[in-house]
Amino acid sequence: MELIPILSTIILVATICTFILAIGAYVLYKVRESKPQYAPQVKPSTVKAELVVPSEAAIVKEESSTIHQRTLPVEPGITREEYTKQHQPSQSKFTPEPRGYKAEEEKTEKQKVRVRPQERLSDENKFLKYTSDGYVPTQEDRTSGEVKWR
Amino acid sequence: MKFNQLVERAIITISNREDEKKGENLEQKYLRRILVSGIISLLLILLIVYTLPYTILSYSSLFEYSTIIAFVIFLFILLVRYFAILVMAYLYLNEYTFSDTNGFAPFVSIIVPVFNEGKIIKNSILSLLKLDYQNYEIIIVNDGSNDDTKQVAESMVGFQNGKSGKIKVSLINQPNLGKARALNAGIYYSKAEFVLCMDGDSQLSPESIKYAVRHFKNPKIGAVAGNVKVLNRKRFFTDLQALEYIEGLNMARSAQSYIKLVNIIPGPIGIFRRKAIEQSGFYSSDTYAEDADLTLKILANGWKIYYEPKSISYTEAPLTLQQLLKQRYRWTRGILQSLRKHKKRMFNPTVNFGHTFVLWYMSYEALIWPTMNLAANAFFIFAALFFGFSHLIFFWWAGLAILDLVTALYCVAVEKEEFRLIWYAIIYRMFFILIIDICKTMSTIEEFLGIRMTWGKLERTSSTKSNTIAVNTN
Repeated sequence: MELIPILSTIILVATICTFILAIGAYVLYKVRESKPQYAPQVKPSTVKAELVVPSEAAIVKEESSTIHQRTLPVEPGITREEYTKQHQPSQSKFTPEPRGYKAEEEKTEKQKVRVRPQERLSDENKFLKYTSDGYVPTQEDRTSGEVKWR
Repeated sequence: MKFNQLVERAIITISNREDEKKGENLEQKYLRRILVSGIISLLLILLIVYTLPYTILSYSSLFEYSTIIAFVIFLFILLVRYFAILVMAYLYLNEYTFSDTNGFAPFVSIIVPVFNEGKIIKNSILSLLKLDYQNYEIIIVNDGSNDDTKQVAESMVGFQNGKSGKIKVSLINQPNLGKARALNAGIYYSKAEFVLCMDGDSQLSPESIKYAVRHFKNPKIGAVAGNVKVLNRKRFFTDLQALEYIEGLNMARSAQSYIKLVNIIPGPIGIFRRKAIEQSGFYSSDTYAEDADLTLKILANGWKIYYEPKSISYTEAPLTLQQLLKQRYRWTRGILQSLRKHKKRMFNPTVNFGHTFVLWYMSYEALIWPTMNLAANAFFIFAALFFGFSHLIFFWWAGLAILDLVTALYCVAVEKEEFRLIWYAIIYRMFFILIIDICKTMSTIEEFLGIRMTWGKLERTSSTKSNTIAVNTN
């Protein structure tokens, strides 16, 4: 017997079976899905919903704890105080000895050096300094009371 | 992964309004439609009966000639459709094969609507935290689930560790209003210029956003459709669907993308420009294919839509024939409902020719193509049973099988997919597509008659990408 008639018969039977299967499955699906139909309800114009968002404080707290851990990694088995005592930064012999810092004296000295004639500072429109608060006159900046180092 | 972080709760109000036609008597409308189509059919039959004696044709010869002519037209359209899709897909994919990201990385909100997805929501969110993108957030919208979805989703709210830093995960718990309204709630809450809408059961590939957002550098692009692949394979039905997604859906989208007119942005992955969604009036819940409806509205507003093959979303396919029919029934009726909403534009190409073209193309795919396929099969069965031309059906099957094999080979090679899927092409047309087309035809008749329908939810199996398939996504 030739191959083509056999294949033709197989395909014919398969196609008919697929037709029957598909229609049968569809009818079965419709029977299973058949539910009582309800009249459509009136929809409200707005609905209430609950919003759950992460607290911004949580991420700040987590980040700060991460930084702390990085600077003071306590080894297991010893307390934080012991660890801090052991890991005190040693003073190198090449490091100059800390000198007594007298802020007031330095400030007075520096101010004396940086004082300029009054008539030059009065030109506010000409010289402005950019700070975090925006552009401020240089005179105001100098008299703010803070020590400024170059 | 650290879950259960400190959270803040608030009650928000969501708009539930949609444009709805009021004062329309649907029963009268459907009755009128049946009567009109019945009268037209009757008039055509009477015309044939009265005019046939004046011609040289007999009834049998009329049947034979009309069948042959219909068959030749069907073959012509089938071949033209195949080659047009292949050529256009080749041209589009060739354009993007060697291009890389262009550094465009705007902030993106990922909206994940979930309804009773307690089994799989965790895997979906974990896949989102592995995205190779820096600038994004995740918004889960729980659409009134009655399983443990709310608890699972709440445990994931926080600043979670993503691949490229901390990712904000938020949750909106709303009453059950449907997928469209759940997506809208997420979009309303989001402040991002671009939103990625996906399904709760889908898992994204790491490069999904990175490759999709590059197209938005073109200000005319309103949305980008992603590449949907079947997650739960190694089963007869799901493997057939995997081939269908590659050969039937993704290749068609590539071809449509060549003219920037993708007709459906798939639910499992679609990235939208916020402005395009706002202009289109957000998602509507008056159809059962909210994705197709929104796509048509975006196209109607003059936006262009691209397809990005490297933005992959893995989704669970129906496991049984019943579930498959349920899904396709909803798709078919949803698309027909969307088409009906835009029917005025079908006959007015002067407003937006691209939109009109897409509407006609969709009508052809949804109505004419399945009917023609069924008619061709019925013709061969008839010819074999009543005229003994059984060899015709063999040549018909052989021709289609070769065509499908070649196409499957090309598509699998392009998408770097599993080679074993190619062999399913032998039975693809004669078995799988025949079942789908019968379902489509029956759904079309039901939609025509206006029979009410329900959404229908598929059963999930909590599959993950890692333990099911290994596909090269590069």
